[in-house]
Amino acid sequence: MDTTPVVELDNLKVRLGRREILHGITCRLGVSGTGKAVGLLGPNGAGKSTLILTLLGFLRPSAGRARILGMDCRRNMGEARSRIGYMPENDSFIGEMTAVTFLRQMAELSGLPPKPALEKAHEVLFHVGLGEARYRELRTYSLGMKQMAKLAQAIVHGPELVVLDEPTNGLDPAARRRMLKLVADMKEEQGMNVLVCSHLLRDIEQVCDEAVIMKDGAIVHQCNLEQERRSNRHFVELEVTGDDRNLLMALPEIGAEGVSEGGGRWRIVLPAGTEVEAIWGLAAKQNLLVRKLTHRRDTLEEIFLKAMGHLARTPGEVTALDVTRT
Amino acid sequence: MAVYKRGYRRYAGPLTGRWTRFMVLPRYAWSKLYQQRLVLLLTMAAFVWPLLCAIFVYLTNHEELLQGLEPEFRAFIQINGRFFSIFMYVQGASAVFLAALAGPGLVAPDLANNALPLYFSRPLTRWTYALARLTVIVGMLSVVTWIPGLLLFGLQVGLAGGWWFLANWTLGAGVVVGFLLWLLVLGLVAMASSAYVKWRVVAGAVSLAFFFILSGVSTMIDVVFRVTWGHILDPAWAVNQVWSWLLGVDPFEGPGPGASMLALASFILMLVLVIERKLRPVEVVR
Repeated sequence: MDTTPVVELDNLKVRLGRREILHGITCRLGVSGTGKAVGLLGPNGAGKSTLILTLLGFLRPSAGRARILGMDCRRNMGEARSRIGYMPENDSFIGEMTAVTFLRQMAELSGLPPKPALEKAHEVLFHVGLGEARYRELRTYSLGMKQMAKLAQAIVHGPELVVLDEPTNGLDPAARRRMLKLVADMKEEQGMNVLVCSHLLRDIEQVCDEAVIMKDGAIVHQCNLEQERRSNRHFVELEVTGDDRNLLMALPEIGAEGVSEGGGRWRIVLPAGTEVEAIWGLAAKQNLLVRKLTHRRDTLEEIFLKAMGHLARTPGEVTALDVTRT
Repeated sequence: MAVYKRGYRRYAGPLTGRWTRFMVLPRYAWSKLYQQRLVLLLTMAAFVWPLLCAIFVYLTNHEELLQGLEPEFRAFIQINGRFFSIFMYVQGASAVFLAALAGPGLVAPDLANNALPLYFSRPLTRWTYALARLTVIVGMLSVVTWIPGLLLFGLQVGLAGGWWFLANWTLGAGVVVGFLLWLLVLGLVAMASSAYVKWRVVAGAVSLAFFFILSGVSTMIDVVFRVTWGHILDPAWAVNQVWSWLLGVDPFEGPGPGASMLALASFILMLVLVIERKLRPVEVVR
């Protein structure tokens, strides 16, 4: 398996004028092979866009090094760019061109010969659902269609890495679903690596395998979402009425651990292989009335809020970043 | 299999070379430019003068057709540096109007539609983008400037013989070099106005105004201060002075060809800096 990380940052600092936007970021993203998606999360002003623009070679690092697909972002950018597709956040197109001409031109600029470029332009327009509108000028497109056209130009040349900046911006729910499906298809079917920058946690959670959370120009949390999903499978939230003082002592009977949050609310971790039905049995033995029993997922939203400092961490909790480090 | 049936697959074939990619932008721009009737019309009109000059070349090389004319007049009409300087003066003016018509479409649409990040995220640097856009205007104007100039020169060589070429080859070189210098100035002015003014009509007017205003200012300076160096501020005058030097014609009164070249180099540098400031993938607010 190819172990070259998709993105490798080594003490990366970026200054815009007198302000330092990125403060010495060091990380390796996309180390788990091809066909993976990395989500870049963070509030406004966290430095997500600056990081993307630096990776694309639009901004120069003031210190440190950034490598993309193993190539230095300053020295080998020409080579790297022919292997990258970029979908910018804002409207970007050539208004007086038909979609098919626009995509053909973009493919040719990326190095495709004219004939294959034309074929790929048609293919990708059908793929993103703009097949019927491919001979229309781009300026006549709706916002959702323009988003799809932007995605199409990012993948028309078959890049190894696609950088998507807020891909679902301004899309209605149906179009958003379609966009996320296309992104998932890009990595699963086409084997492309995807770097998604978004402030929408659900989008990241839905399509990404890794997530990086940025705050004030630094990475505050990095996690493997797949691992998070697996580790949260046996995490249970329980709410009971009745005398639950003996529950703590009884939990080891089913191999579980738990902590009372007061008012009959419990957080319980089930061991692997133990189903949630065991909790029902235990509660019945203790004459407790179960009011609520949920498989609580430590959602990306909670991870995000914790990283931002808006939620307290569970005492003794091991973060995914710690897991990665070990 | 029909495209809509086969679905999307990543391209894995061979890639084109660097120069083929460089020519993609001019190729698409030219095809769009010549779809405009006005551009076609003006380009065709710009061939009238070279055609008249070609007839003139033909006549001067066929003395039997000039039998009825005065000997002094026959001695006056010759194919020399003056002939080519008049040809260049007229064609140079046509090129200004063509550049004003075609120039605004160079960069303005890309800036208006925020297309620069799309270009620069591909293997295309800012300088290659600028050079490709310059190639569009230089290529288009070449068709009506140095190419017909060289054809005229070739016609004269063909009719007059090899001895004429040996004695006057500098005229051919002068036509090519002189026109290329002018096209560089025109292209950069068109690009700069296109980069700063997004509205096409205004951008065209600005590139025309650039020449007329500077010409007016230079004349004003000369008249008010009773000097001749004011001409140096007029790029059209400066390029004419360089042409005169290249073709071995008596120069105009005022700064010499060296000073004119220096002035043109300053104009070019200034225009390059102006364009460089605008052609950025992202606008950084400091």
